[in-house]
Amino acid sequence: MTVKYFATIRTYAGETERRIDDAPAGMRELLTSLAARYGTAFRRAVFSGDQLSGEIIILVNGRNVVHLEGLDTPLEAGDEVSIFPMVAGG
Amino acid sequence: MFGWTGTILRIDLTKGKVSREATDPQLARDYLGARGLGGHIVRSEVDPKTDALGADNKIVFAPGPLTGTFAPAAGRFDVVTKGPLNGVLAASNSGGTFGPELKYAGYDALIIEGKSAKPVYLWIKDDQVEIRDAAALWGHTTPDTTDLVRAETDEDAKVSCIGPAGEHLSLIANIMNEMHRAAGRTGVGAVMGSKNLKAVAVFGSGAVKVADPEGFKAAVMKARQMIQAHPVGGTGLRAYGTDVLVNILNQSGALPTRNFQDGYFPTADKTGGESLAAKQLIRPKGCFSCIISCGRVTKVDSPDYKGSGEGPEYETAWAFGADCGIDDLDAITKANYYCNEYGLDTISMGSTVACAMELFERGIITTEDTDGVQLTFGNTAAMVEMVHKTGKGEGFGAKLAQGSYRLAESYGHPEYSMTCKKQEMPAYDPRGVQGIGLNYATGNRGGCHVRGYTIAIEVLQNGAVMDPHVTDDKAGLGITFQDLTAALDSSGACLFATFGIGGAELTEMLAALTGVDYTLDEFMRIGERIWNQERLWNLTAGFTKADDALPQRLLTEPIKTGPSKGHVSRLDDMLPEYYELRGWDEEGVPTEAKLKELAL
Repeated sequence: MTVKYFATIRTYAGETERRIDDAPAGMRELLTSLAARYGTAFRRAVFSGDQLSGEIIILVNGRNVVHLEGLDTPLEAGDEVSIFPMVAGG
Repeated sequence: MFGWTGTILRIDLTKGKVSREATDPQLARDYLGARGLGGHIVRSEVDPKTDALGADNKIVFAPGPLTGTFAPAAGRFDVVTKGPLNGVLAASNSGGTFGPELKYAGYDALIIEGKSAKPVYLWIKDDQVEIRDAAALWGHTTPDTTDLVRAETDEDAKVSCIGPAGEHLSLIANIMNEMHRAAGRTGVGAVMGSKNLKAVAVFGSGAVKVADPEGFKAAVMKARQMIQAHPVGGTGLRAYGTDVLVNILNQSGALPTRNFQDGYFPTADKTGGESLAAKQLIRPKGCFSCIISCGRVTKVDSPDYKGSGEGPEYETAWAFGADCGIDDLDAITKANYYCNEYGLDTISMGSTVACAMELFERGIITTEDTDGVQLTFGNTAAMVEMVHKTGKGEGFGAKLAQGSYRLAESYGHPEYSMTCKKQEMPAYDPRGVQGIGLNYATGNRGGCHVRGYTIAIEVLQNGAVMDPHVTDDKAGLGITFQDLTAALDSSGACLFATFGIGGAELTEMLAALTGVDYTLDEFMRIGERIWNQERLWNLTAGFTKADDALPQRLLTEPIKTGPSKGHVSRLDDMLPEYYELRGWDEEGVPTEAKLKELAL
């Protein structure tokens, strides 16, 4: 599995991407382990209490997890996860 | 009047005559200003079938009622005219400081008609208006022109001007304001060129009258606080600019690549806002009264593309980047600088180069056509050289200067032009985001993202979220965005203010400013009226239902790689519902009942 970070999330993570050999079962487990690795700023960006923050956009293979199963979205070894803060432009 | 100045300035370049007329209060109420009021002027005074580059076309510079106030991001104005690129009722919106200055000089609109026999520029200092000789300015770039005009007028004058591209009537020429902000789309720069009008310089010493100062102050402060508290309006755009979108669109499988042959560009990250911030950003910059500061003051250090200026925006980074198969951010930014100097629309310029690259790779054109240049995807030097050629109108550049549709059509292959109504589409692939395809197809000025930015909901999760791959409810979404944006553009506020506030807050500010008892319903109705006004004019100009279309490629050629692999646009699933919800008949013509309802 590959996890990619963008914009401020990249700053919080201190790296652009991370390969994870032992894929966690689901999104909640993945984000929990990443928050433990990267610390408070990352945790506050992705979680609101124990729920997914409304100001974070997480794609699994290009699909926003809000269209999947949110924090309960299952993950597989070959998945690509992309994590963004809310961004905009035009 | 409050909010409006009450005066419209008219300049006849054929007769050299200057006149003034009163702003009609009812029209101001019904159309606000900028795109709406300017559109009403063009609709009333210009035959839709007239030659856009003829003396009978008119060009209107119009701020909105909020323009020049301390409302957040209230520095906008529109240039409204018959657009030469595709013949629509064109309104090209710009920020900067020119719009507020025109307001301070005392004008709700500047109407320019006729054609000067020789190059001229306008110098407007409050109620003193001069038509001045511009022979010495002709041929100069937009920064040089701005400096020269200021030297002849006032160092604090605000200057809108064209570059060499507008002079040689490039159909993708823009109008540059204060050197770095553009009225970019639909070829409005060529209309100035056709009138031998090089520049408009303005200095105003007036102010905007406010009906309810305390109420306005409260509404403005509330709006500012909402924007500042928003993760995008408050911090995101300032940090990364609009170019931050490169990665999220790419990771969503909706970044058009190599002239829309694909929707995913593996090395896009090199061209995104994060890379720009790390390599080129000097500081963020805002327009008048802006608290968002999405603008990028940048410099490029690499020897091949060394320079400084402003940009790129997301659309530009995409047009010269993924769409041309290029991941060299320095070359992209340099191409942006050159476009600003020549006065070229970066979206249409980049997309036209991408079209030419596809024609070249398919063997439809060769080095005999391209002045010896190997115009392949990924060739950065060739891309930059094409911008130079287009800006000067030299060699193959003369063909590029007419935009991708005419270019591809001239070689018998218009299908390789990625345009709607002959205007190049921006940086969102309709195969990866269904709703934006409907917006492009129905766009009153052709391929355009800022007429109905459904991306905010379909991709960016701004306020609400809808699945980009479904077509359900996208007709209604598109209409809401189109009407809201038409009203917002006409108010004088920036579209990016909506990353924090909505129609309710805009209505509240407008009501306190003007003293008109606007409601949110009326605000949205104004937007709908403006949208239908533009539609009616376009229909009279000769557009039909057949023009509410996307390039065939997007309907039949699935995206090849990335997250949207296998997807095509399903425009036909959305268009009939769109017409029905609009109150139009099956041919896309507004019904009598709808026109009566909108007082059109």
